[in-house]
Amino acid sequence: MKRLIPALLLALAACGAQPAAEQAAPTSLTWAIETQPITLNPQQWAQNKVRLLVFNQFDALLTRKEDGSFGPWLATAWKVSDDGLTYTLTLRDDVTFHDGTKFDAASVKANLDQFRVPGYNPAVAAIQLRAYQEAKVISPATLEITLKERDALFLDFLASPYAGQVSPKSLKSAKDLKFGGPDLAGTGPFILDRYVQGQEIHYRRNPAYNWPPDGAAHQGPAHLSEITYRFLPEAAVRVGALTSGQVQVIEGVPATEAGLIQRDPGLSLQTALNSGTSFSYYFNTSHAPFDDQRVREAFREAVDVDAVLRAVYQGTATRAWSIVAKGGTFYDASLENSYGGDPAKANALLDAAGWKQRDAQGYRVKDGKRLTVRTVASAPFVRDRRDILAQAIQAQVKQNAGIDFQVKIVDQGTAQKALDDDAYEIFENSRGDSDAGAALNLILPTGGAINRTHFSDPRVDKWLAEAGATSDQARRKELYTRVQREVVREKAIVFPIYVPADQIAAQKSVQGLRFDPASGTPANAYDVRIGT
Amino acid sequence: MTGPLKAVRRLGVVRRLGAGLAVLWAAATASYVALLLAPGDTVDILVGDGIDTPEIRARIVEEWGLDRPEIVQYLSYLWRLLHGDLGRSYQLQRGVGEILATQVGPTVQLTLAAAAAGVTLAAAIALVTAGRGRLARGAASVAELVAVSVPPFLVGIVLLAVFSFTLGWFPVSGAQGPSALVLPALALGLPIAGVLGQVLRGGLERALEQPFAVTARARGLTERALVVRHALRHALIPAVTLAGWFTGTLLGGAVITEVLFGRPGLGRVAMDAVTGRDMPVVMAVVLLSAVVYVTISTLLDLAYRVIDPRIRG
Repeated sequence: MKRLIPALLLALAACGAQPAAEQAAPTSLTWAIETQPITLNPQQWAQNKVRLLVFNQFDALLTRKEDGSFGPWLATAWKVSDDGLTYTLTLRDDVTFHDGTKFDAASVKANLDQFRVPGYNPAVAAIQLRAYQEAKVISPATLEITLKERDALFLDFLASPYAGQVSPKSLKSAKDLKFGGPDLAGTGPFILDRYVQGQEIHYRRNPAYNWPPDGAAHQGPAHLSEITYRFLPEAAVRVGALTSGQVQVIEGVPATEAGLIQRDPGLSLQTALNSGTSFSYYFNTSHAPFDDQRVREAFREAVDVDAVLRAVYQGTATRAWSIVAKGGTFYDASLENSYGGDPAKANALLDAAGWKQRDAQGYRVKDGKRLTVRTVASAPFVRDRRDILAQAIQAQVKQNAGIDFQVKIVDQGTAQKALDDDAYEIFENSRGDSDAGAALNLILPTGGAINRTHFSDPRVDKWLAEAGATSDQARRKELYTRVQREVVREKAIVFPIYVPADQIAAQKSVQGLRFDPASGTPANAYDVRIGT
Repeated sequence: MTGPLKAVRRLGVVRRLGAGLAVLWAAATASYVALLLAPGDTVDILVGDGIDTPEIRARIVEEWGLDRPEIVQYLSYLWRLLHGDLGRSYQLQRGVGEILATQVGPTVQLTLAAAAAGVTLAAAIALVTAGRGRLARGAASVAELVAVSVPPFLVGIVLLAVFSFTLGWFPVSGAQGPSALVLPALALGLPIAGVLGQVLRGGLERALEQPFAVTARARGLTERALVVRHALRHALIPAVTLAGWFTGTLLGGAVITEVLFGRPGLGRVAMDAVTGRDMPVVMAVVLLSAVVYVTISTLLDLAYRVIDPRIRG
């Protein structure tokens, strides 16, 4: 028995000798990612964080470029009729799916019509494709799509993962269509060949690939012959795996670890701001105290956002000034420094609103009621240390203005119940839509699907409707600028806090890592290569 | 053995099986009731963060049969369970049975390896230190206390930082090959080694003071033979009782360990299901855990009889 321990140690050491043999070949790499896909079918896609996987295996019809305009991908050209109801797409004629099927107008039509199958993806059928009337095959390379009404976001749909083209043959034969997997054939630069839930997903190069989107850095097949994505949800473990050379690339680097990577001469760190909306606190205007604009403004004035962000994110976060994320096409920079961070003003506003008395703990009181506001966050959606951020804001509004800010992090059902019961004063949210207009349409109009402020303003409704119907980007920008000024500055229904960002850290030898301009999340691996 | 005795014995087995089934039914029902009592309704959970319109709600209600009375839903749930149909995952869009089938292997591997590591370490330390000088026992006690008190998450991080990130002996993740199993098995097995080591040593020391130990020594048995052949058997009884407890520790700890090490497995599926309120998966995991507990406690009862002849009588 005494010999057992040395024997055990010897066994352990013997096991440990193996990984050295697993040295990466120069054209394959391992990338540790935070989020596991809940589905591999692009048409069921629901997580911005897995766009990089979607576009390895699938190509969309259009691509969204840095300036917000659209570029050709599987569709080389598109024409919109003057009434905005007919879209004529010219398609590439040299594209084949991974299963050997040829890509043509009929397959695009089959993909669009697939959303008509009841229960396939009711959300997309009801929102993104609500205006879709029919698709007509004019020739193998020409497809005519008719809409029931104008829809400014239809091109955005054609550039989204939902427009990821799936072989019509595999739409019929896939064993688990809604989940996807290796038997769902795309046209992308990589072919999915292994998915181990909870562990990793592995792709090999598509040797036939020669149809990258406009804006790609090269033509022809991808540089990497193989790529493995490991699912490592713990940030510290991802960083450790990178610094010890077990993976070559990671995404999702928390502020606490960013310094460690920047100090390492062998590693690089890139950051990009996400598209969509800023992470913001939305004030519930349906009842006291935020039915009073003075209290809404006071809350914003009571917080020194810069100091809070410095404390929580060590200077790595970008402050938000508008509901639209900074860097987005429709962002209104004139809102910067136009409000906030003035405790004296906050106190004056609250005095004027009648919250004059203080109770024993220093909170403001009116008619015997404490100035209490509640936020209810759903735990699965709390990321980026937003819980810590809320605590920092809680301390500031108490100290600077005597506001009792209560933060509750609960499960999804409880959070939903609080929303249904109108039992909250602050709703916190950020959205990663590639077109910020899509997010504004859900959040701001009277009765919008996630209008948690209960804000209603006929002018804003009118501007949003007009911006949603025109495809004139300049006109849309003008209208969305008005919307932003109205809700942020004039009515103060929203308190923008920071712009969510994504990070990629990698060994210096890995080149061609970029962010997807449509989302600000890491792009697929098409242009990634090892070496100089 | 006579006929009637056999019949009585068989009756005992039948009773045990019946009790086991009752526990399983209770587990299935309890998890079902928990779902009913949980705040928010099922449709809200299924809609999640997605787009919420009345049409989508209507489709969800239809798809999952949520418009039927609760008792009907409960009975059809039991009926499907009896046929081995665990339902479909809300989140993963796949059959729950299929998900569990792919995930059960890695968890079994991990928990067995952790149990083996825990038991081996505990036995080794107990045998080496039982009845020895105060210093050796003290050192072992402290080590055991630390192993028990430090949360498995921290143990895992420390093991990774030392043996993976710094020394590079073991890979951080993956389930390929035995080398990837070493650190997670240790992280999960150390708390067990801690408790079990204490219990085993205590048991050994008590056994060594018993009259039979004096007799054995008088017969000229070496101390080593005495410990291995006689005292160990006495010490094992409380240790075996603990095996029931450590089944729970292992299954619970697997959640943290699997997430930390990026391993596939039931624990990770359970965690994702709980945070995403994927109730069919949660209920299936609860049921499966109940099956494991019932099986293990039955086996333990049998094990007592083997270890301790007094119980057989």
